[in-house]
Amino acid sequence: MNIVVLVKQVPDSGTERQLDSSDNTVARASADNVINEMDEYAIEEALTVKESQGGEVTVLTVGPDGATDAIRKALSMGADKAVHVSDEAIHGSCAVQTSAVIAAALSQLEYDLVICGAESTDGRVSVMPALLSERLGIPHLSGARKLTVDGSTLKVERQTDGGFWALEAQTPAIVSTWDTINEPRYPSFKGIMAAKKKPVETKSLADLGVDAGTVGLATATSQVLDFAGRPPKGEGVKVTDEGDGAEKLVGFLASQKLV
Amino acid sequence: MTLDFDEGDELRDLRAAVADLAGRYGHRWFLEQARTGGTVQELWAEAGKAGFLGVNLPEEHGGGGGGMVELAVVLEELGAAGCPLLMMVVSPAICGTVIARYGTPDQRDRWLPGIADGTLTMAFAITEPDAGSNSHEITTTARREGDGWVLSGQKIWISGVDVADAVLVVARLADAGKGTLRPALFVVPTGAPGLSRTQIPMELVSPDNQFQLFLDDVVLPADALVGSPDAGIAQLFAGLNPERVMGAAYSLGTARLALDRAAAYARDRRVWGTPIGAHQGVSHPLAAAQVEVELARLMMLKAAWLIDSGQDAGTAANSAKYAAAEAVVHAVDAAVQTHGGSGLSQENGIGALVTASRFSRIAPVSREMVLNFVAQHDLRLPRSY
Ligand SMILES: Cc1cc2nc3c(=O)[nH]c(=O)nc-3n(C[C@H](O)[C@H](O)[C@H](O)COP(=O)(O)OP(=O)(O)OC[C@H]3O[C@@H](n4cnc5c(N)ncnc54)[C@H](O)[C@@H]3O)c2cc1C
Ligand SMILES: Cc1cc2nc3c(=O)[nH]c(=O)nc-3n(C[C@H](O)[C@H](O)[C@H](O)COP(=O)(O)OP(=O)(O)OC[C@H]3O[C@@H](n4cnc5c(N)ncnc54)[C@H](O)[C@@H]3O)c2cc1C
Repeated sequence: MNIVVLVKQVPDSGTERQLDSSDNTVARASADNVINEMDEYAIEEALTVKESQGGEVTVLTVGPDGATDAIRKALSMGADKAVHVSDEAIHGSCAVQTSAVIAAALSQLEYDLVICGAESTDGRVSVMPALLSERLGIPHLSGARKLTVDGSTLKVERQTDGGFWALEAQTPAIVSTWDTINEPRYPSFKGIMAAKKKPVETKSLADLGVDAGTVGLATATSQVLDFAGRPPKGEGVKVTDEGDGAEKLVGFLASQKLV
Repeated sequence: MTLDFDEGDELRDLRAAVADLAGRYGHRWFLEQARTGGTVQELWAEAGKAGFLGVNLPEEHGGGGGGMVELAVVLEELGAAGCPLLMMVVSPAICGTVIARYGTPDQRDRWLPGIADGTLTMAFAITEPDAGSNSHEITTTARREGDGWVLSGQKIWISGVDVADAVLVVARLADAGKGTLRPALFVVPTGAPGLSRTQIPMELVSPDNQFQLFLDDVVLPADALVGSPDAGIAQLFAGLNPERVMGAAYSLGTARLALDRAAAYARDRRVWGTPIGAHQGVSHPLAAAQVEVELARLMMLKAAWLIDSGQDAGTAANSAKYAAAEAVVHAVDAAVQTHGGSGLSQENGIGALVTASRFSRIAPVSREMVLNFVAQHDLRLPRSY
């Protein structure tokens, strides 16, 4: 089974993140960039499927040159090879434009299964797998907390607030995963040493046959017009216990819809 | 000119991978094991399987084909995450190095794959009750009997004998007589008849235990002797510089943990309106320790690099060990002080580092013996002892 995992490099969600005030895009150059957390689960799932079904895992990344760190991490975890789409013209692209680039890259690859994280921590648009499903004309099994592969049949438990849906589709298909699906492995020493020797193919928009004028900030379908910092944490509510402390606490929790 | 301080992608990735693994266990888990009589075997086994414990050993014997730089980085990261694996100082660094370099092909095949993947742990015993720092005075003796050997003597403060499959014992050869030590190294299986041990209760909060060892006419086959009988001194030197580098790594990891915790606390804790980290009485000791940690790490990496490139690492390894021990003592002292009363609570766990940090000044070689070495070798001062 040939599996492609979509991997994105994002600014570390554990640090303070910024938008670039010159064009309101995510400030990547100055950030502490890491693999998008949810994508590590997608990589783990791809490796698990490969271990049981055989085949190859290819990492596909669209991102600036520095995204090689994220690719190397995926390769060190055990992926076999990578395609890195890097082109200045992609800067500032919206989700719709990015999906066109990824779809073009995917159509140059042979795949039975595409796996990606259910969301990225920078944009959090969470539509990429659905957009790709439309563009490629393949089923989308979304928000998986469990994936079972049986020949060319994919079964997914789709996580919801109240429980799960049982989804089924034939390959080729795209599956998006939540962090409930597995526990990502850390790279072994051999994995780290092997990663540098694995093939990474770098592609430009021209290599993919995508017209540079159709992507990028200037023609994006959505743009950030303005932004403001998160307001500082306000003073908390102090409950003074005058015999009715418990009641007030529950009242507060209820007003926040926590109970 | 090509002086390059960039650790490079692979070492950075190794640091991140080890930190990821160790973060799944953490300091709380480590202390829990120490306080309930548990062990670190679960983490040890996982680290071994990932190839982290044998990064320095040759690939043909199951190791990673790297060197002391990689091994030191692994231990430093484990310590920074709160779970330093003490037996790394001994099993892959001393025993692994000595056997890889001086063992016969059979000995390498027999011991190295297990040491490399952590399925086999080898302790190391040189210290004796009556010799202490003066290892020239050790009296554990090996005498020939038939084809084989018979060992008798005593060792003290030996780490991890309870989890070890064998102990690499430093003895003197009987026919060499007293006086200048002609050491020889023997692999003694922990189950060998005549070998017994007593655990020494320690004030360290650590899952690793120390033992007194009694060798009472332990009968060993000929191939228990590592390499040739004449190579003992060279073997010791080959093992002890890696030991010092790993001593430094152990200290640096703990120092980083203490400083991370203290800095996070000092950024948050307010008793006079501002965070306590705004008071120089709090921030300066932490900053000074941070400088010491960075300097000690440079020296640790240099010493490891010298070993890996086959150069004389004596002064660098001793200096790294010295500097890292001072750094961790100062870092932990400042971290406890920063935490105020909670620095001494069990729940917080920082207080548990106090004895651990002091142990760095004593073992594997004491601060004073390092200074003796530097005074004599680098400053050409008269030998003082
Ligand atoms: C937790 C722990 C684990 C250990 N694990 C092992 C192990 O696995 N294997 C092993 O073989 N050993 C082990 N050791 C022993 C360790 O290497 C020794 O404790 C250390 O070498 C010091 O020897 P000593 O304790 O006999 O002190 P001593 O030699 O008695 O020294 C006492 C004090 O006198 C000072 N001193 C001694 N000689 C001089 C001098 N000439 N000039 C100035 N000052 C001097 C020392 O610096 C020290 O401060 C361990 C020790 C500890 C604490
Ligand atoms: C074993 C033990 C027994 C105790 N027994 C009692 C008891 O019986 N009764 C009782 O009331 N209390 C008791 N205490 C509490 C003790 O008095 C406090 O721990 C101590 O006053 C420090 O307060 P803190 O722990 O809140 O530290 P913090 O006030 O939070 O201070 C943390 C650190 O910041 C430093 N710091 C704070 N402000 C400044 C500043 N302005 N400039 C520079 N540095 C600053 C402190 O010196 C300290 O290093 C006990 C504590 C311990 C550990």
